[in-house]
Amino acid sequence: MALIALILLPAIGGLVAFFAAGKGERERWVTIATFALMLVLLFAIVAAGDDGRWYDKVSYPWVPSFGISLEFAIDGLSAVMIALAAGLGIISVMASWSEIRTQSGLFHASLCWTVAATVGVFLSFDLLIFAFFWEAMLVPAFTLIAVWGHGDKEGAALKFLIFNAAAGFGLLAASFALAAMADHMTFSAFELAEMKLSTHVQVWMLLGFSLAFMVKLSVPPFHAWLPEAHTLAPTAGSILLAGLLLKTGAYGLFRFAPMLFPDGLAAVAPYGIALGAAGALYGGLVACGQNDAKRLVAYTSIAHMSIVLMGISAGVHYALAGAAVEMVAHSFSASALFLLIGALYERTHTRDLRQLGGLQQTAPKFAAAFALFCSALLALPGTANFVGEALVVVGIFQVNWVFALLALSTLIVSVIYATRLLKGLVFGLPQPKPPLADMSWREYWPIVVMGIGTLIVGLYPQSLLALLEPAIKAALIQTP
Amino acid sequence: MTAAQFAALSPIVVLAIAAVAAMMLVPLARLQIVQAAAAAGLALAAAVALLRIGAPAAPMGALFTDDGPARFGIVFACLVSLGALVFLRTGHPAKEAPSLLVLVAIGAATLAGAGHAATLFLGVEILSLSLIALFAFRLTRQGLEAAYKFLVMSGLASSALLLGIALIFAETGALAFADWGGRGALTAFGTALLLAGLAFKFSLVPFHMWTPDAFEAAPASAATLAGVVSKSAVAIVILRLALSGHLPEPVWSQGLAALGGASVLIGNLLALRQPQLPRMLGYSTIAHSGYIALIIASGTPHAGEAVLFYLAIYAPAMLGALCVSAALGRAPTLPDLHGLMKRRPLEAIALSLSLLSLAGLPAAGGFIAKLFLLRVLIDGGLWVLVGIVVAGSSLGFFYYAKFFTAPFVGHTHDESEPLHRLDRGLLIVCIALIVIFGVAPAGLMNVVAATMAP
Repeated sequence: MALIALILLPAIGGLVAFFAAGKGERERWVTIATFALMLVLLFAIVAAGDDGRWYDKVSYPWVPSFGISLEFAIDGLSAVMIALAAGLGIISVMASWSEIRTQSGLFHASLCWTVAATVGVFLSFDLLIFAFFWEAMLVPAFTLIAVWGHGDKEGAALKFLIFNAAAGFGLLAASFALAAMADHMTFSAFELAEMKLSTHVQVWMLLGFSLAFMVKLSVPPFHAWLPEAHTLAPTAGSILLAGLLLKTGAYGLFRFAPMLFPDGLAAVAPYGIALGAAGALYGGLVACGQNDAKRLVAYTSIAHMSIVLMGISAGVHYALAGAAVEMVAHSFSASALFLLIGALYERTHTRDLRQLGGLQQTAPKFAAAFALFCSALLALPGTANFVGEALVVVGIFQVNWVFALLALSTLIVSVIYATRLLKGLVFGLPQPKPPLADMSWREYWPIVVMGIGTLIVGLYPQSLLALLEPAIKAALIQTP
Repeated sequence: MTAAQFAALSPIVVLAIAAVAAMMLVPLARLQIVQAAAAAGLALAAAVALLRIGAPAAPMGALFTDDGPARFGIVFACLVSLGALVFLRTGHPAKEAPSLLVLVAIGAATLAGAGHAATLFLGVEILSLSLIALFAFRLTRQGLEAAYKFLVMSGLASSALLLGIALIFAETGALAFADWGGRGALTAFGTALLLAGLAFKFSLVPFHMWTPDAFEAAPASAATLAGVVSKSAVAIVILRLALSGHLPEPVWSQGLAALGGASVLIGNLLALRQPQLPRMLGYSTIAHSGYIALIIASGTPHAGEAVLFYLAIYAPAMLGALCVSAALGRAPTLPDLHGLMKRRPLEAIALSLSLLSLAGLPAAGGFIAKLFLLRVLIDGGLWVLVGIVVAGSSLGFFYYAKFFTAPFVGHTHDESEPLHRLDRGLLIVCIALIVIFGVAPAGLMNVVAATMAP
């Protein structure tokens, strides 16, 4: 029951926020309280869990005649992702405190519903329920971009919706095909994983699933929706997109590809690594050429998600651990950068690197935060991103050294774009002219929290890896 | 006539009495009383039909069938017509309209139970003639144009239908569906004509031309009757003909699949750039007919359930969207919808949820209907049709999403009157049904399974 409460809580919180909107900041506090309650509930579930892999596991019938049940389970990986979801939810509310002034009730409801649907994704082990939440998250996220975005927001939101919803059909079709092969009507991933399928069939099913996951991960050539959606979304939307929605793609691949199609994944692994390497290089190189700071960070997301794809495809212990850590690390670094750039944009009304600069003289808090998260972007040792990317590269060395060299070269590109961002914003002459107000503490503390998170995971990765270990073991597809 | 037979026909009898009563009340009573009489008749007929659910099928002879889909069709026609009657008030202040609306319901109920060519033709004609009158009622240029188009198309469809029936009769010497079964050229050609005639009514491409015009020019209530009531009755007849398996397989199934596939693709493509809400809905209803046709054409074991399920989910969404469209005055365009959320939140929410459901996104009912559709096609291994559905609904996201966002952005001034409480009630019922079907579909799934169980 607790797991269902974990999904219902933000769903209902969203409704309350929707109707509470009006005078004062009620809807903001309702939303924050909802996410805080989620964190408490999550902690209770994890603390009460037994020593096995699953802290909690439930199954209720939903549509019995169809073989669909509400099958939820939570392990370390799910728990970490849900904690991120609730945490980023709170940060999104903080980040949009002064930015969002119209239709505030609907805005906070959309935040809550996006989080509710992603939590559903992180908990579901019935493939159709998974698909239900998978598509359900698109609607509030679409609303976030289309209503409160900048510029050609509707075009960007439409692109986001159509790419992802169309790719969702791959997931649906493969789920039905998989269920049709079972001896009785079921969509339970645990039961379907027991089936012995030929490698050939597994590859086809995996491609169906991957279509949905790759588009969400935005690995090139499936990335076309991402730059616009991230750039034109309001700050909170960018935070949720980068921090959460991209991770659902990584999560789905991490969780279901090795679980349901181990042979199929092993067969296509080299292509996965190659695609990931190409994507990381492409995303990184395009990021180097951007002048819009937000767009630059959006392209780095493509690069980092491609590294996650490489790690999952490699399928060895180090690489998987690296991919899992990178998922968390990227949530911190990308969300923090979007938040910072959003706050800067509110003050200067520009995101153009050529018209900005000198933050270290005018706004030291800004400058310090940019310095930390640009270091994370280039995976400087000490940050969580270093742990993730280094582990992925080490893992890939065990599989094939050519791919490993490719993966290494992507890290070099990351140095270029990260330093370019840092140089453009922090150093040089102060621009634009009237010195801008530094961040207030209300704006700053989410940054501090994410910074501490990045450093803790970077300096003591075991804190995170211990939680993720069972899920990583389960995702192993080959031993070096 | 035995008691069981009379019980099976009683909903239609009740409807017929209501139609006559509503007509006779015209010179005697106020508009509200005429409407109340029609509403009471529809409600009573629906109640009578609902009471018979679970009763054993009555032996009806050849003309009428008393199976699950027929009962479902009758309840469905009565309830949706009742919904249409609610916003018929604004579109048709004339006293004759309620009687015509009940006649449409009679036609749909007859058609849903048709087991014989004569009943089929009778149902189609009752439906079409009362619809033409409803389309033309307002005597505006566009209304007349829509009615005229529909009249010509209906005439064509009826001739095709009749010729088809005649050709099949020429070979098999039978008019009851159960006795058809010829395998010769006459039957093949007759089947093709029969299918074409039904496709007109079902607005499948290339027989769809009347639909968008009707949706744009006719009052929303008439559009509901044409787009939901008449269409679902035709769907049930097509389903019965398909399940009976007496028509020559290649012509019937592949023809239906081809028409369905074309409707899905072309309906969605043509809807893409429609700036007007009712016109967009008109094209989208063509696409939805296509999906239903594909379900029937798949011929898989769960196809019957899937069709009824699809209709039940499609109805509140279309009803909600058309009711909002009617509330905003004549043919609202995209800019007319801007800022709707601030001005009229109930309408905005109802419209957005309806469009969400039509697009097939969760947590609206349409997602579950889409699941059922995909399952049926994949069960049959029909990957080409799956591809068509995927392409079609991906296009669909585009235009539904455009209309979905409009209520939340911008501002527009509007002078249309606030909604009557009956309309508000109807919208709330639609919202509730869309959400319930989307979040807890097991109940509807069981009803549909029980309906199709032999």
